[in-house]
Formats: sequence, structure tokens, C-alpha cells
Amino acid sequence: MKIKIKKEKLVMTITIAIACFTLMLVMFMQFKVVRQTDITAIESMRESELRIELANWQEKYDELNEKHQEITQKISEYQEEKESDEKTANLLEKELEEINKLLGKTDVQGQGIQIILTDKSYTDSSDGENSEPIYDEDLLVIVNQLFEAGAEAISINDQRIVAMSDIVLLDSSIIKVNGQRLLSPYVIKAIGNQEYLKSAVMGKGGRGAELSELGYGVDVEESDKILIEKYDGTFGTKYIN
Amino acid sequence: MKNKYKISIIIGCMCLLLSLGISIQIKTINNIGTSTTSTNEIENKLRDEILKTKEKYDNLYSDLEQVENQLEEERNNAASNNSDLEELEKNITEGNKILGLAEVTGQGIIVTLNDNQLLTSNNYILDPNSALVHDMDVIKVINELKNAGAEAISINDQRIIATTAIECDGNVIKVNGIKVGAPFEIKAIGLPEYLINVKRYGGYLMYLEQRGITVNVSKSDQITIPKYTGVIKFEYAESK
Repeated sequence: MKIKIKKEKLVMTITIAIACFTLMLVMFMQFKVVRQTDITAIESMRESELRIELANWQEKYDELNEKHQEITQKISEYQEEKESDEKTANLLEKELEEINKLLGKTDVQGQGIQIILTDKSYTDSSDGENSEPIYDEDLLVIVNQLFEAGAEAISINDQRIVAMSDIVLLDSSIIKVNGQRLLSPYVIKAIGNQEYLKSAVMGKGGRGAELSELGYGVDVEESDKILIEKYDGTFGTKYIN
Repeated sequence: MKNKYKISIIIGCMCLLLSLGISIQIKTINNIGTSTTSTNEIENKLRDEILKTKEKYDNLYSDLEQVENQLEEERNNAASNNSDLEELEKNITEGNKILGLAEVTGQGIIVTLNDNQLLTSNNYILDPNSALVHDMDVIKVINELKNAGAEAISINDQRIIATTAIECDGNVIKVNGIKVGAPFEIKAIGLPEYLINVKRYGGYLMYLEQRGITVNVSKSDQITIPKYTGVIKFEYAESK
């Protein structure tokens, strides 16, 4: 009788122990799963990033595809017109025209914005009228911000920004662009999507907005017919082979 | 008898609580579980699609290079026996080099900029930000190279074209929309004796060195600058 009770007790203890153990195991596993799923916040962020990335690649692919078709067409045109020098000349001229346009060798027109920057003037108690000039860095940053927003052509005081254009300060009031001396006020013209261009310069973090806040004159105008003059200098090609 | 009754109630209560806890957890996990697998599925699908598009792009790109070479040949052929046509053809080839649509080689200099690697042990640097290379630094160095007569420039093999923007993107910078990180290798083709002027006293490179940035400048007789891999086209600007 005594032994029987002991045996029963033992079985029960073991059963309870096993049950407890399993329960704990299940709970721990669940805790672990819960902790892992907390990362979903980052993962959902990554999804939107992935979408942007995908759209970018698709756009790049489409652009490349378009160019591919253009070139194949040109090839067949050259092949067809091979016999006629006159027609070949036309084809070559057409290609050169397009290249010159992209280089900045032609006047271009289109929608865009015009920004006029003027020095900051203030009255000082000791020496009266004073002014704080716009620096080369301001122009560099604005030009870069405009290109960031997809600008296709930019000029500063009618000096076209081309591939190797430099913007340097000569002294506190003269800035050299393409080797030409420019004086304030600086008129920056840019062709591209008006909204993008404007928000790049005048939106949060835009140098135009910052200068305006500091008291410089910043005047932005949108136009459907911004005219940007061609670059009339020469391109250096002495060292590139 | 009374004791047994008490124990039963306590155990019953405990069991109830435990099962309640477990079922609550199972419920939450079920909810999260389905959402994770679905986002994971979407993400994996997106990743898959990106990879596929990239592959398609790469294939098309190598195909494009072939077609471009073919066009050059055709152009050459078509213009071969007429000096006027040859002149036009030469202008096209040269124009493409300036645009950045052709690989170029020549003499020049290589400027390497790197973040300060001893940042933690350099106690004299108050602002650790100043020992890192920023987008503005790269913009200024490139501007100085242009000023010194560079005819072609690249950063970490990204060709600088007329409309190139250099953007800040967290810890890296974006050139032509493509991420590049430190160390930055800026190659410039031009007359080395002029280009080396970027190292001058009071120049921007000196300022960068003072900030603790590792600056290295070397001349080279044979620099190769790759072509721009994107497409240059105008959507808004029309010739006047």
C-alpha cells in the first residue's frame, strides 16, 4: 500500500515537472519570436527604400533602352546613306548639333527659374553703410543644388556653366566664372522642372532660403521661357586622348 | 479535505492564468507573424525584381557598348574618303570626350582624400565631423581642379559631367546619383604642372589637411578616366 502511494506521487511529480518544462519552453520560444518581430519597424522602412531603388533601376533601364534604339537607328541611317556624301554630311551634322546642344554650345530655352542674389547691406553705427558680399561658395552650392534637382542648363550672369566651369573668388566682391569677372547682383538662370528647381534652392536646406534668412536679397522667379546663352569659350582638349 | 479543496482552487487559478497568458501571446504572434511573412514576401519579391532589372540593365549596357562601337565604325566608314566629312566626324568624337561619353586617357594628377583614421586617439580634434570628408569638400576640390585647367575629372570612377551633382547621403556621398564612400580618389587629366597647384599654400587641400583629413596628391603620365554611364539628354531645354 505504502509503495503504491509513493509510486503514484512520483508519477504525478514527474508529469507536473514535464508539463512545467514544456510550458516554460513554449513561453521562451514565444518570447524569442516576439522579440524578433520587433525588427519589423526597420524592415517596413526598407520596403519603401526597395521600392525607390526598383523605380530608379527601371527608369535607368528605360533611358538606356531609348538610347539603344536611337543608336541602332543611327547605324542603319549611316548604312543606308553611305553612298551619298551629302546625306552622310547631313547625318554627321545632325549628330554634332545634338552634341553641341548638350555641351552648352547653343542658346537654349525652356521652363525654369531665375534667381537674383544681392549683397546684404546694413548700417553700422561706427562706419555707416556696409555690405556683406555673396561668396563663391554660395554660388557653388546653389549650382550644385540646382543640378541635384535635375537642372539641364545653368548660367550665372550669362556665363554658361559647362563641364569644366569653375567658380572662384577673386577678392571680396568679384567672382570669376569661366575665367570671366562677375559682379553682384548675380543672376542665376536654370532650365528644368520649375517646382523641383525652386524647392531645391528655396526649400528647407536650400542655400537660397538660408541666404534670405541671413538678410541677403534673394529673388526667385519662375518662367516658362528661360533663355540661357551659349558658352562662347573654348573647351580644353589638349590633354584628353 | 479542506486543504485539498484549497490546493485545487490555487492550481486551477494558476492554470487559468497560464493558459490565458499563452493564448494572448499566441494571438499577438499570429497577428505579427502573418504581417512579417507578408512584408518579407513583398521585400523578397522587390529584391528579386531589383536584381532582375539590374541584370537586364547590365545586359543592355554591354549591348549598348557594342552598338556604340558599331556606330563609330559606321561613322568612320561613311566619312572615310571625304575630308569635310572627316572633320565633322572628328568634331563628334571630340565632343563626346568633352561631354564625358567616351573614356579618356592622359597625364594628370590623382588626389586621394580619406577620413582621419585615428579619430579616437586624436584628442586635439574637438569636432569629429571636421575630420571626415564631406560633400562640400569634394565640391571645392573639384572646383579647384577645374580652375587649375582640368579637362576631365572623376571621383571613384564616376565621371564628372556638366550636370553632375554631388550630394550628401548619410555617411557617403552621391555622385551622379551613385553612392561613393571614403577614401575618395579624384582623378584629373590636364597639365600636371598646373593641376598640382591645388596643393598650394592656402589652398583648400591644405585646409583639409589642417582639419586632420588624409590628403595625398600624385602626378601620373597615364590616367584613365571612364565615361559617364548614364544617359545625357534634355527634356526641358530646347535649342534656340
